[in-house]
Amino acid sequence: MTKPTILLVDDEERILRSLRMLFFSNYTVRMTTDPHEAVRILRDEKVHVIISDQRMPVMLGAELLRLAREASPATMRILLTGYSDMDASIASVNEGEVFRYLLKPWVGDEVKQVVADAVAIAEASFAVQSHAVKTPSAARQKPRVLIMDHEETTAKVVHEILGGRCEIVWAADAQHAMEELAKQDVSVVVSDLMLGDTNVGYILKTIKQLNPQTQCIVVTSFNDTSRLIELINQAQISRYLPKPLSRNMLARYLESMLERFHVLSDQPVLQNRQKVAEISDPQEKRQSGNFLGLLGRLRSRIAN
Amino acid sequence: MNHVGHSGQGIHARDILALVNPIKAISPECTVAEVAELFLGDEYAKLLSLPVVENGRPIGAISRYRFMDMYLKQFARELYGKRPIRSFINPRPLLVELDRPLAEAALHVTENMQFPLTEDFIVTRHGKYLGVGFVMDLLKAMELRMRASADELSHAYTQLKSSQMALVQSEKMASLGQMVAGVAHEINTPLGYVQNNVAMGHELFTQVREMMAEYEALVEELMSVDASEEQIAIRMDRIAEMRAGFDASEMLVEMQALMADSLYGIDQISELVLNLKNFSRMDAAATEAVSLNDCIDSALNIGRNVLKNKVEVVRELGELPKLTCSPSQLNQVFLNLFTNAAQAMEKSGVLRIRSWSDGDSVYVNVSDNGKGIAPDILTRIFDPFFTTKPVGEGTGLGLAISHQIIQKHGGEITVESVLGSGTSFHIRLPLTVAASPARQQAQYA
Ligand SMILES: Nc1ncnc2c1ncn2[C@@H]1O[C@H](COP(=O)(O)OP(=O)(O)OP(=O)(O)O)[C@@H](O)[C@H]1O
Ligand SMILES: [Mg+2]
Repeated sequence: MTKPTILLVDDEERILRSLRMLFFSNYTVRMTTDPHEAVRILRDEKVHVIISDQRMPVMLGAELLRLAREASPATMRILLTGYSDMDASIASVNEGEVFRYLLKPWVGDEVKQVVADAVAIAEASFAVQSHAVKTPSAARQKPRVLIMDHEETTAKVVHEILGGRCEIVWAADAQHAMEELAKQDVSVVVSDLMLGDTNVGYILKTIKQLNPQTQCIVVTSFNDTSRLIELINQAQISRYLPKPLSRNMLARYLESMLERFHVLSDQPVLQNRQKVAEISDPQEKRQSGNFLGLLGRLRSRIAN
Repeated sequence: MNHVGHSGQGIHARDILALVNPIKAISPECTVAEVAELFLGDEYAKLLSLPVVENGRPIGAISRYRFMDMYLKQFARELYGKRPIRSFINPRPLLVELDRPLAEAALHVTENMQFPLTEDFIVTRHGKYLGVGFVMDLLKAMELRMRASADELSHAYTQLKSSQMALVQSEKMASLGQMVAGVAHEINTPLGYVQNNVAMGHELFTQVREMMAEYEALVEELMSVDASEEQIAIRMDRIAEMRAGFDASEMLVEMQALMADSLYGIDQISELVLNLKNFSRMDAAATEAVSLNDCIDSALNIGRNVLKNKVEVVRELGELPKLTCSPSQLNQVFLNLFTNAAQAMEKSGVLRIRSWSDGDSVYVNVSDNGKGIAPDILTRIFDPFFTTKPVGEGTGLGLAISHQIIQKHGGEITVESVLGSGTSFHIRLPLTVAASPARQQAQYA
């Protein structure tokens, strides 16, 4: 059996050499300092995972990963960067749709584990791609969109955009949000990071465990890079939109996320592409556990 | 940039003249590397920016901040070092004609300066370069003038003061923050591969050592009369198996290359740190085991100018075990506390310094009977740039830095104050600092 291929892109060759040593025994390692070359490799060869630096002179990593999405959609995308600025993190979500956002200096075993996971997921994606038997589920349910925001504005804007096409539910506090999530699965969640004074990070991080198809759009005025990186890795949020909201952007994002939800419903294998990393914060982990417990109880009650 | 000439207004000319520092301007043909030297040198230590002059006329300025931003980048030295500074300068520097009235000059400067403030202004006479002025000095001159005549200047002054305060502060913040950000990136890249290489090297050595142990055992068995053929065969099988798993000599060659990379990376990191240190003039302090009482005394010694004739110092220093710390940093903390205390006293006052230890920690208490701190600002005094002192007198960094230093030593600093009757600062420093979690965090951060 041939080894899976990983592609390393960094403008510092020494990073490439160092990573190659970490990976060469388990993978075929391709590497380049030139992002354009990287895109060519992605087009011509079967690459399971691409790991790219963010700050490179020719092209930013998030941009390269966007091109990677087009050149080879099945390839899993990882960003490995020395410094995290807000713009880079936002672009890596919205454009790069990264699987993981990792920081330098890295921990060898951790990166190895992430790559091993990503390779397995890519393998499955390639398999789906090759016999693309799309069976569009005939009778689709009306999509359900949950808005978690203290302010009504967000809910209003979503209403204007989606009109009667979707069932739209607005939760202004965490309790209500959890009840709605318990009632029935949700296609798309549009959420602020704070509901009043509750930090809803743990709810977002739990959503993918409830229903991996659900797509999260975070809308917020908070600018905290380390929290955003956490949400990328541990909640696999799909889009991040700063407030005040741009109506056009939100409309675009909602359309593509509803579409994504359907694709994932039709092809469950692809759901793994948004597999989340374990919750790192002990308190959030506890909250998430409680939430899942509560949910179990609520769901069984609703079922009865 | 328009120069409003006021011929025959000698009074005005003297206003601005008083602000001029006759700094030697640089030529646009100066190389980037030469400019770096200049920025590091003492002659230009106080300047935010260097004036660039050609044929007697100022054609631009290069700011320390912008320069640093460029020069700290990877390979900047190799890429730009020999290039003339001409292509990196701001071609629209702040210009002030010598004979302009103070208020007008001040308005002109505030209206045209960049955000954040990273440049000094250039003074010209009939368009020719004369020297450099500091915006701070301009502000001070305005303040003095204010006392004399209020009307004409008040508008310009308020505008200057508010925008200036905000800008000077944001400039510090911005350059500090951006510098940290930029440097973090530049350092994390070499750190990334150096750390990984060393970790892999460590693993490789373990494997090689195990293999060598097997070889040694084999040699011994071959030479010993007791070892059976069977035993030797088993040993050889084991070695063959190990060799199939990994090619030690090839790996060692690879690793040797990675070690060369690592040395290069470490060089790069040290160079960055050196640059940073030179630019920020903050010395990485050596650690030593000292008694805090010595730090207190040396701070009293350094600060005696501020204290003498004003402050009665009462030392109640107890027996202290030695503490492993960075004495120069702790000196700085004490000096700042003593200076603050002296500055809080109207004419005279008492500064009481107590120290003691309980075996786990060392405690220092610094109390004064100065004017005290109002409750509503008590929570803000440790904030960077928070000051109640006039511009130019206090940077508002004293307590922020002190706080950071104490924290770095694993200790605490707290404050208690009664408005009108005095203030005391409490410091606790643990004798043994728990292993810092910084490394672990860095890996996950
Ligand atoms: N002993 C004290 N008594 C009264 N007020 C104090 C005392 N120590 C500090 N303060 C207040 O806290 C503020 C901040 O102090 P800090 O040492 O951080 O800055 P600063 O003294 O104003 O400026 P710098 O130390 O940089 O010259 C001071 O401006 C002052 O208002
Ligand atoms: Mg001070």
